[in-house]
Amino acid sequence: MPKVWNWQLGRGMEYPYDAAFPKRQFAFVFNINRCIACQSCTMACKSTWTFNKGQEHMWWANVETKPYGGYPQFWDMKILKLLDEANPGGQVWNKSNGSTSSPQAGSAQFDGMTIFEAAKKKLTPESARVLGYLPEDHEWNSPNIYEDNPKGIKGKKYELDKEGTELPIHKTWFFYLARICNHCTYPACLAACPRKAIYKRPEDGIVLLDQEQCRGYRKCVEACPYKKTMYRGNTRISEKCIACYPRVEGTDPETKGKPMETRCMAACIGQIRMQGLVKMNTNGTWAEDRYNPLYYLVHVAKVALPLYPQLGTAPNGYYIPPRWVPRPYLHQMFGPGVDAAIERYMNPDRELLAVLQLFRRSNMIIVSYKFQEGPKIYEGTLRGKPVSIYNDTVIAYGKDGEELFRTTIDEPIHERPALHANSI
Amino acid sequence: MPYDDPDPTDPNMLVGVEIPGTAESTRDMAYVFAEEFARMGFNKTKLLRVFQTPFYAGAHRAYLELGDTEVEKIIDECLGIWGRKNSLAQSA
Repeated sequence: MPKVWNWQLGRGMEYPYDAAFPKRQFAFVFNINRCIACQSCTMACKSTWTFNKGQEHMWWANVETKPYGGYPQFWDMKILKLLDEANPGGQVWNKSNGSTSSPQAGSAQFDGMTIFEAAKKKLTPESARVLGYLPEDHEWNSPNIYEDNPKGIKGKKYELDKEGTELPIHKTWFFYLARICNHCTYPACLAACPRKAIYKRPEDGIVLLDQEQCRGYRKCVEACPYKKTMYRGNTRISEKCIACYPRVEGTDPETKGKPMETRCMAACIGQIRMQGLVKMNTNGTWAEDRYNPLYYLVHVAKVALPLYPQLGTAPNGYYIPPRWVPRPYLHQMFGPGVDAAIERYMNPDRELLAVLQLFRRSNMIIVSYKFQEGPKIYEGTLRGKPVSIYNDTVIAYGKDGEELFRTTIDEPIHERPALHANSI
Repeated sequence: MPYDDPDPTDPNMLVGVEIPGTAESTRDMAYVFAEEFARMGFNKTKLLRVFQTPFYAGAHRAYLELGDTEVEKIIDECLGIWGRKNSLAQSA
């Protein structure tokens, strides 16, 4: 099997194909600290792409309550369990091997097995390329199974429950994990497809599934560790998140020719999401682009971390981890960078605070930003720690260097009149 | 939509092991929601509503555990830093 470099693991790894990288890569950052699971993203995606017959179970975008919920049910626990069975006790990060010599270097090296490496040990026949599993039908039943979905009276379908709704009450911590396809650098779905029906676009790294080539073998559904490829029974082929590519490439009429963020990003009322395109080096790392907000959050401030990097697909979705969750759980989910990321996020410097203001001020893709210092407007304490706030300005620029917007730390709030409170 | 609760006797049902939070994790969660939404410009009334509404389960759990006075104290502290934003009402 060819060897490729995976910067998220801090080492090379085996992958069924030779490395090939796009010029720019679709990527996103989600700030979990802000997510209240309103499911606006979920419904924006559903109402755009998966509202047809046969797609009822498909939620390309979903928000699940961790650690209780999941879509499909137990997806992450199941793949972690399979990996642990393949490499008992060996799924560990080696912090002494971490390098800080370049912005792309992680804080540690992963010494365990990825889903590609474990496949050799665990799977037969030899043609099996990726360790995975095929969820059963009932596991796809709900985008946040047993969690924040109100349920009606048993046996009475399609009827309004006049008694109200029933929601689970948790006795301990939890948080909301918003998920879409990670448009991985080393996609497991692509690696597993015997028809070569899945491809990664050279222009933006979006992973697409050619429906004319697909024969519905569901190898991609089995292989994707994030379970973001889904089988459609009435067409007998698989489908997946397309990253709203007409918006990203600026061909959707709404975009007026400029790159625009996806529907799930644009609908986010909690302002947790930012999506863009990052420049790539020829070795698969991100090219230095200091004032691209995604590059800044991932490689400079290092507050945004990949989801389950140990799986080995080099996902391009990054998360600012929730501050209140027990660290062992976060280490498992986001890798060894968690402690430093939370520390920086809790005590942001002026630039980080300004970049966080860029989230959802525009639906256009921000290509770069400029930071301008402003006067000090507050000095005091928060939870006993000294805090100083400066009214700095951050300016966002689009594809052709045009100014998209500018905002300040102490920005005014515009409230809609009651008449149009819910109109978008 | 699931109509049955998980069956703990089902051998195929994974059973999660609870990782207890620290005594401070609920307070941390309350601070995070108060601070994040204060940063977004929510005023005291709106922030309190996030905590009091059961549909925002995270904030509401903190509200139930910590109580009205404590949550209000947290909100006031966060608004002390982030609550000086000007509200501009748009015309219809």
